Amino acid sequence: MYGWIWRHLPGNTWVRALISIVLVLAVVYVLFQYVFPWAEPLLPFGDVTVDGKNGSNTS
Amino acid sequence: MAASTEQDERAKESAPPRTSGARGRIAGAISVFGELLITAGLVLGLFVAYSLWWTNVLADREAGKQGDDVRQQWESTAPGEIDIKGGLGFLHVPAMKNGEVLVRKGTSTKALNAGVAGYYTDPVKAAMPSDRQGNFSLAAHRDGHGAKFHNIDKLKEGDSIVFETKDTWYVYKVFASLPETSKYNVKVLDPIPRESGRTKPGRYITLTTCTPVFTSKYRYIVWGELERTERVNAKRTPPAELR
Repeated sequence: MYGWIWRHLPGNTWVRALISIVLVLAVVYVLFQYVFPWAEPLLPFGDVTVDGKNGSNTS
Repeated sequence: MAASTEQDERAKESAPPRTSGARGRIAGAISVFGELLITAGLVLGLFVAYSLWWTNVLADREAGKQGDDVRQQWESTAPGEIDIKGGLGFLHVPAMKNGEVLVRKGTSTKALNAGVAGYYTDPVKAAMPSDRQGNFSLAAHRDGHGAKFHNIDKLKEGDSIVFETKDTWYVYKVFASLPETSKYNVKVLDPIPRESGRTKPGRYITLTTCTPVFTSKYRYIVWGELERTERVNAKRTPPAELR
């Protein structure tokens, strides 16, 4: 999979490495900005209130 | 196609010759599967970094901004006037070593994620510190999102909890805690929290957060009782407990 992506990137090794870094950063950005904030309330790690409700501490 | 034969030739030089056809395809599928597993591991690792570090960065930034707003409002409004739109005041708990925590209305996920402590409006409405009696009940995150109550387990009997409002310092003393209770145990928020051992009305404070750390299987409760109040002077000199 990663080999396939690498082979399909244009340019020489340095250009490919640069593009790879940009791609990795883009993926991390999307994860931190959109995916994790969406996933976090669905996971049972941050409920701090006593309200007798399941899931997140919305009230 | 040219690229893949080139790859094959390179592979031949170092590795044993690759068998063609079905076995090659199976090997390819396995390697893609392996790469997906590695990717999943990295994503989970990033999620840990996100929840334990990045949310703190965001929350502290947000709470700092909101706290500055509240202090500015205090300076610009006349004495006696209490505007609790931006926040009620600041919680200082020396034993938790986390500086000041802004206290705002509500315990919704969105409110608490801003790195503040929220006072309960539901299921049991919190009393205000200024009320003649009742329970001033608060919740904040144990980990991530500012982790304002991370060190709640460091609080022992007799430790002070100081709440700062525009005009008054409220000095509470911890008298009981409940290291583990169910999230359904809403009785801990009652005006008279009987589980703490108190049976008479008084001016109580209740801190709630999740436990054990990094999870929210149970809730950790700490109760305090008002010891005295001090008027805020012009210099906002903190009470002896905070010096």
